[in-house]
Formats: sequence, structure tokens, C-alpha cells
Amino acid sequence: MSASASLVRRFTGIQRLFHLGLILLFMLLSVTGLAWMFIEAPWGAWLAELFGGYANLLLVHRVAGLVMLAGFFLQIVYLLAVFDWRHPLRALASHDALVMQWFDVVDFFRHLRWVLFGGALPRFERWGWWEKFDYWAVWWGLIIVGATGLLIYNPVLSADYVPGWFYNVALWIHRIEAVLAMGHIFTVHFFVEHFRPSTFPFSATMFDGGMPLEHARAEHPRWVERLEREGQLQARLMSRPVWAIRLLHIAFGYVMIALGLFLVVSFIAHVGLLKFTALF
Amino acid sequence: MGRLTRGLQVAALAVVLLGTPFPSGAADAVTAYDERAASTGYFREGASVVPGAYQLYLQTPQSLGAYGGLGPRPKIVEGVSFKADAHAGVTDYRPGYGCLDCHAGSEHNLHSARTEVTCRQCHRGTPIAGIFHYYSAMNPIRRHAYVCAKCHEGATANFAAYVVHEPPALAAETAEGFPALYYATWFMVILAGGVFLFFLPFTVGWGFRELIQRIWAGRSHVRVG
Ligand code: HEC
Ligand code: HEC
Ligand code: HEC
Repeated sequence: MSASASLVRRFTGIQRLFHLGLILLFMLLSVTGLAWMFIEAPWGAWLAELFGGYANLLLVHRVAGLVMLAGFFLQIVYLLAVFDWRHPLRALASHDALVMQWFDVVDFFRHLRWVLFGGALPRFERWGWWEKFDYWAVWWGLIIVGATGLLIYNPVLSADYVPGWFYNVALWIHRIEAVLAMGHIFTVHFFVEHFRPSTFPFSATMFDGGMPLEHARAEHPRWVERLEREGQLQARLMSRPVWAIRLLHIAFGYVMIALGLFLVVSFIAHVGLLKFTALF
Repeated sequence: MGRLTRGLQVAALAVVLLGTPFPSGAADAVTAYDERAASTGYFREGASVVPGAYQLYLQTPQSLGAYGGLGPRPKIVEGVSFKADAHAGVTDYRPGYGCLDCHAGSEHNLHSARTEVTCRQCHRGTPIAGIFHYYSAMNPIRRHAYVCAKCHEGATANFAAYVVHEPPALAAETAEGFPALYYATWFMVILAGGVFLFFLPFTVGWGFRELIQRIWAGRSHVRVG
């Protein structure tokens, strides 16, 4: 391995911690949620056994959901704490912020055109439009799945506030949103971050905390140029973690990717066995 | 449900639904007289004291009809729904027959698919009453207490408004029978479908475009160190 300071810092320790917590809870909720959904099929029953049976499974799913909501709450607290309240407008419009801006819309269409073999690849700033989309998708996903999750958490209790038929509605919203989130993460997110030719076989940015400078120049050239212009690049360079840590990151990442792909394939293979209801 | 988890949820629900960060009010709300009175189904805000406001057959508590009529509309099988014996006029009905011999499809509900609850644990012994028969345990004025509460401790009339035999959420009839379920589910299906329809091809195209770029360039302009 060559140069020691070859990464440009992209994520702080606390941000990586949030992402790690999100991975673990998302996976736990995916496995327990799908086991619950498919409990009448052998596949679901088998998954449930891993958690010590149906009753435990439901408990784990419910508690994990509450922990996830607590994490969401912490993320909001974190954002409020690190926000630059003295220059709020400048902070919102900053290229380091994840706020969607007009140039993201423009970049999106240029990117699309490039994929269709027209024009040049847009020169992205620190965050590409898809990275901002992924971040906010977690927000709306968590709001939808969290609000409905609380409603169906204990239907007898919720019925003190809303009629019982909200349960019918909330359960469907919860299921479809969950399938959307899993489908998106396990296919699109994994592919974009790890399986595109330029990121294959594994992009460790979110785990190492930084992105190889060469890769940053190619994919986020406007970001690197801005850092150079402002003389901040040197301060942002960091060395790669030692090989053992890198190996750990890659191994962890691949276990999660394998688990996600396993869930997608099993879902598709067993979807015909869902017995509790008919959609049409 | 453990006391702890229930407590946690009271807090969470209070925050979400009442917009107050302190759960202290929620516990009172559960035991408030109004709520308990409403949960018997006999006393309905305003309506119970107005002469003639009581609908003899459709005893669904009025509060459940709120939400702009988006909720489920009671499904009434002509006449039968109000009979003491729903099967009185049914030729060749024998109590020994399986319910599904005639009511095929009724098993597609969470209870029958997922639990050991049988039809008779809710619809009770022979004769099986129409679901709106005045003295039936299934009558919405007492369904929560006589049917649901056997298994769901603390079930209120509001809880019993859950639609056990949920109609197929995306079927055209459901737009009439249970609008909220129909529109909410379609909305989610279109949202999810839209995201997949765009992102799956886009992502594949992106990967393919990069691959072509590499082949053209001989080596990548984009490379991870
Ligand atoms: C021989 C066929 C047959 C069998 C067996 C049968 N039913 Fe029925 N049931 C009918 C018919 C016909 C009606 C009239 C309403 C209709 O057309 O759906 C009816 C009506 C009902 C109703 C009233 C619907 C309403 O609107 O109130 C209920 C509840 C019911 N059946 C439950 C059951 C249950 C539970 C079983 C099993 C113990 C059962 N039935 C077995 C044929 C049958
Ligand atoms: C958990 C309780 C429960 C169980 C179990 C149950 N039902 Fe019902 N059933 C109801 C309720 C409540 C209604 C009133 C309408 C509603 O909420 O869906 C009903 C309504 C009906 C009706 C009237 C028509 C309709 O669909 O609204 C029929 C027929 C019926 N049930 C048959 C059955 C059969 C057959 C089974 C067994 C496979 C069964 N039910 C199991 C609670 C139950
Ligand atoms: C004979 C027992 C029994 C009766 C009667 C009964 N239920 Fe249930 N119900 C169950 C069981 C068991 C479950 C499954 C709980 C689980 O999966 O955790 C359940 C689940 C439910 C759920 C989903 C709750 C959850 O935690 O996911 C709802 C809503 C519900 N029942 C409503 C009703 C209503 C409304 C009635 C009255 C019409 C009723 N039930 C009558 C046994 C019963």
C-alpha cells in the first residue's frame, strides 16, 4: 500500500457511528420484519426460530423500532447542535450541507443525460444528488414507518386515540414503506456504493471516514478544487486505517451486503406464499 | 405486553399524537370518564341524549364515522345481517359443514392466517347471528366487550372498529367500501413503484455507462486507490 495520507476526510466519527447504528438496526428490523410478514411460510418460521420463536421475534422488532426512533431523535438533536446558528442562511446554502439545491436538480438531469450517452459527466461538489437523496430518503422513510409503527405497536392502546380501522391502513403503509426501503438499500444503494465499476469491489468511505483522493478528484472534482482554492485540502487529508481495521470494514460490509441480497432473493422467491391477505 | 413497553409507548404516542413532550396527561386520558363511557358504545357524545338519534340497526358509535367518511362502510348482506340466525334461510346448511365450504376467502385475514383463532371464537355458537343483529355479540355496540375483549384485554369500541375481514386493499370495490385503505395503499404502491421504476434502470445504466467509459479509455478515469 502506497501513500499514507491518501484519503480525503468525508465523515466525522460521530457520523460514521450514526451510519453504523443505522445499518445494525435496519438489518435487525428487516430480518425480524420479514420473518413476521412471512411467518406462515417455512422461510419466515425459520427466521423466527433464530430469535427464539414468534413471540420473541415480535418483541425484538418492536424494541428495535423504538431504538431506531430514538436514534432518529438523536440525529435531529445532533443536527441542531452542529448547525451554525450565527449564519443560518450561509450554512443551509453551503456546499457541505445536504440541503437539496437547484444545482442538484441540474446535476441530476445532466447525470441522466450522461448515462444515456449524451454530454459530459457532471462535476459534482462534495455531495452528489443521489447522496442527498439517500440521506433524505431515510428521513421520510423513518417518519412514515415510525409513525405507523407506533400506531400498530399496541393496537389496544392506540385505539384510545384513533379508531381501530387505522390499524388496517397503518399496517399496509408500514409494510409497503418497509419493502420500498429494503428494496432500495439492498439493490440501488449497494450497487451504487459498491458495485459500480468505479467503486467495485467495495467502497469503504463510510467506514474509513475518507475517500481516496484520486477517486474524489474523479467523482467530486468541484469539491476537491474548492478545498484546494480555500487551502483546506491538506487539513482534510488523512491516512488509511491499518490493514486489520480495513479488513474488518470490508468483512463487515460484505456480511451486510450478503444478508441484504439474501433477503431480497428470499422475498422474491416466497412472495407468493403470503397468506394473510390479498391485495386484489 | 410488559408494563415497561406499554409505558414507553404511552410516552411515544403522547409525543406524536398530542404534540406534548410529557406523558403525564396521557395516563389520565385513558381513564377519563368520557373515554370509558364512549368505549361501552352506549353513550355517544351528544347523540346519546338526543331523542331519536339512536339508530336501531347501525349501532356503530358515531365517533367512528368521523375522518370525512374515509373509514370502512359497514357491509350489509341484505336482511341476513340483522337476523338472529344468519343461516335460517340457507338450504342445506348443516352446522357440521366447514365454514369455508360456503364462505371461501373468509380465511384471508390476520387472525385466521396467523393465529389459531377459529371462526367460531368470534362468530360464536349455532345459531350464528347476523353481524348487526340487535342482540348479537357481534353487534358493534358490544362487539369489543363480548368478542374482542375475550382475547384483547382492554378492547374498546374504538378498537373493535378494526376491520377483521380486511378487503383486498387495491381492489376497485375497496374505493367504496374502505376508501382510506384503498387510497393510502395505492399511494404507497405508486410511491414505491415510482422509486423502483426510476432507480433500478438508472442504476444499471450508470454501471453500464461506467463500464463502457473504461473500455473506451482503456483504463478508468475513475478509480478507487
Ligand atoms: C351451506 C353453506 C354455509 C355454511 C356451511 C356456512 N355459511 Fe354462513 N352463510 C351462508 C349464507 C348463504 C349466508 C347468507 C349471506 C350471504 O349470502 O353471504 C351466510 C351468512 C353468514 C353470516 C352473516 C353475514 C352477515 O352479513 O351478517 C355469518 C357471520 C356467517 N354466515 C358465518 C358463518 C360461519 C362462522 C360458518 C361456520 C361455522 C358458516 N357461516 C357456515 C352459507 C353458509
Ligand atoms: C377475530 C374475530 C373473527 C374471526 C376469527 C372471524 N371473523 Fe368473521 N367477522 C368478524 C367481524 C368483526 C365481522 C364484521 C365485519 C368485519 O369487521 O370484517 C365479521 C364478518 C363476517 C361475515 C360477514 C360478511 C363480511 O365479510 O363482513 C362472514 C360471512 C364471516 N365473518 C365469516 C367468517 C368465517 C367463515 C371465519 C373463519 C374463517 C371468520 N369469519 C372468522 C370477526 C371474525
Ligand atoms: C380468540 C381470541 C381472539 C379474539 C376473539 C380476537 N382476537 Fe385479535 N388477535 C388474537 C391473536 C392471538 C392475535 C395475534 C397477536 C400477534 O400476532 O401478536 C390477534 C391480533 C389482532 C390484531 C393485530 C394486533 C397485533 O398486535 O398485531 C388486531 C388489530 C386484532 N387482533 C383485533 C381484533 C378485534 C377487533 C377483535 C374483535 C372483533 C379480535 N381481535 C378478536 C386473538 C383474538
